[in-house]
Amino acid sequence: MSKPYYEFFCPVKIIAGHAALEHMPLELDILGAKRPMVITDKGVRGVGLLAHIEAAFAAAGAQIATVFDDVPPDSSLQTVRAAAQAYRAAGCDALIAVGGGSVIDTSKAVNILVSEGGDDLLVYSGAHVLKRPLKPLFVVPTTSGTGSETTAVAVISDLEKGVKMPFMSYFLMPNAAVLDPRMTLTLPAHITAMTGMDALTHAVEAYTCLAHNPVSDAYAQGAITKISANLLKVLDNPTDADGRLELAQASTMAGAAFSNAMVGLVHALGHSLGAVCHLPHGLCMNLFMPYALEYNKDTNGDRIAELLLPLAGADVYATTPAAQRADRAIAEIRRLRDEIHARCKLPRTLQETGKVSRDQLEQVARLTLDDGAIIMNPKEADYGQVMAILEKAWG
Amino acid sequence: MINKENLGYEAQKAYVATMMQVVGRGLAATSQVDEAVRQELSAFPAGYQICMTVFPAGPSFFLRMRADGTAEKVGSAIGKPDLTIRFKHVTHAFLVFSFQEGTAQAFANDRMIADGNLSHSIRLVRCLNKMETLILPKLVAERAVKRYDALPLSEKIRKAARIYGLVAKSFVAGI
Repeated sequence: MSKPYYEFFCPVKIIAGHAALEHMPLELDILGAKRPMVITDKGVRGVGLLAHIEAAFAAAGAQIATVFDDVPPDSSLQTVRAAAQAYRAAGCDALIAVGGGSVIDTSKAVNILVSEGGDDLLVYSGAHVLKRPLKPLFVVPTTSGTGSETTAVAVISDLEKGVKMPFMSYFLMPNAAVLDPRMTLTLPAHITAMTGMDALTHAVEAYTCLAHNPVSDAYAQGAITKISANLLKVLDNPTDADGRLELAQASTMAGAAFSNAMVGLVHALGHSLGAVCHLPHGLCMNLFMPYALEYNKDTNGDRIAELLLPLAGADVYATTPAAQRADRAIAEIRRLRDEIHARCKLPRTLQETGKVSRDQLEQVARLTLDDGAIIMNPKEADYGQVMAILEKAWG
Repeated sequence: MINKENLGYEAQKAYVATMMQVVGRGLAATSQVDEAVRQELSAFPAGYQICMTVFPAGPSFFLRMRADGTAEKVGSAIGKPDLTIRFKHVTHAFLVFSFQEGTAQAFANDRMIADGNLSHSIRLVRCLNKMETLILPKLVAERAVKRYDALPLSEKIRKAARIYGLVAKSFVAGI
């Protein structure tokens, strides 16, 4: 059945390829920006990734006005205020986020304060509160997973109240995502694997959940094809710059897909497990993907079946009877997980993580039922059914 | 299928305005009648305010939580509601309130925007689903919810009668 109605929005310019960083000075100049501030974390700075950007700017006679490198893994209102203060003190006129999800979310929130003025970020919390464009924001991802460079959302912790504040506005979307393989070339194998499986889950859920649409489908299928073809290759040869670039593009494409089509039960389970057991998000996706797809299969098996083509290629798709394609697609994801495990020991079951105890599963199940992603899952899930999935994922 | 083209926007608006009143009162009544709904709503603190509305200026209904986990329908919110579900157009609200599109599918089809804590929206949707399962005939309710959980007929009739009674009482009292 054709989609009766849908929306798709992704105004982010994608600047992708070898030496993509070198395009930034001109792209900022086109937007009238001369004094960008880089926002990053100490890890990114410590491994020397900023040197690539600084060299690209210096060669173009452009300057980076200041660098704020104090972003923690879970960003807070305090961090955002401190970064905004640094921006104002240095007389900046644009932002460059260099990092993963936390750095990107922080940069979006900083952009609110430096564009709208003031220090009270909470005024802008909620959906569509912002009413005008913000300062230019470029994002240079240093992992290939979150897809935050294409989303209109930022989540910032209010440490005083102990809550996470959501900000949603089209004006939060970056002006550009700069995908340069140099920025992910030194990523360790297990992080490459986790973030790759995060991107794969974004694409798989965007394709198989309730809000999928023809445009998000195209992005999702493209992303799955690239991840299937390149994730293991890159794990075998970490300095494969072409493969790294393919994964970076896949992550951004998956981001464009899921920011429009949303995600479902895998993310609901993963958010909850992450909150209870403090496991990385990408690992949680790896743990739950096959089990949640199996649970959904009797409702959307036709959609899961179509994923066999990007997951396994034309030959496997053509030689697999239509009725078996959904099962085969799930089997391909299991095979990918096994191959990853053989290379970098990324856990496939809750038991293998060594950080989850059985008595935590009930809390994970309760949180899952209240997670926002669950509404987009094609099949309703109650407490007992979520517990059954968790038992299967236990291993 | 109801021909929404012929009904026209004004008729849709009138229908949605009526249904907003019914659904708002229905949710408040269901919180008094059904233990599962009361438990869902008890996660909201006393004084928590929920608004369901249509862009730009309604129709709307407002609920305010009591300390015992039940909800009361109120005429307006004090300040900004904690959770607002806003339909983008009266036509989209009509699709949902005439049960041509389920609540989850309406979210998926970008018919409305949730402003507030997303997990609270999920709880509200579960309460709406339970209310619809209780008060609507099975054939209609199946179109409104992702999965229809069959109830014993006696329970459905008993609870539906109480909910309709409380809704009628609320209309008469002008609450």
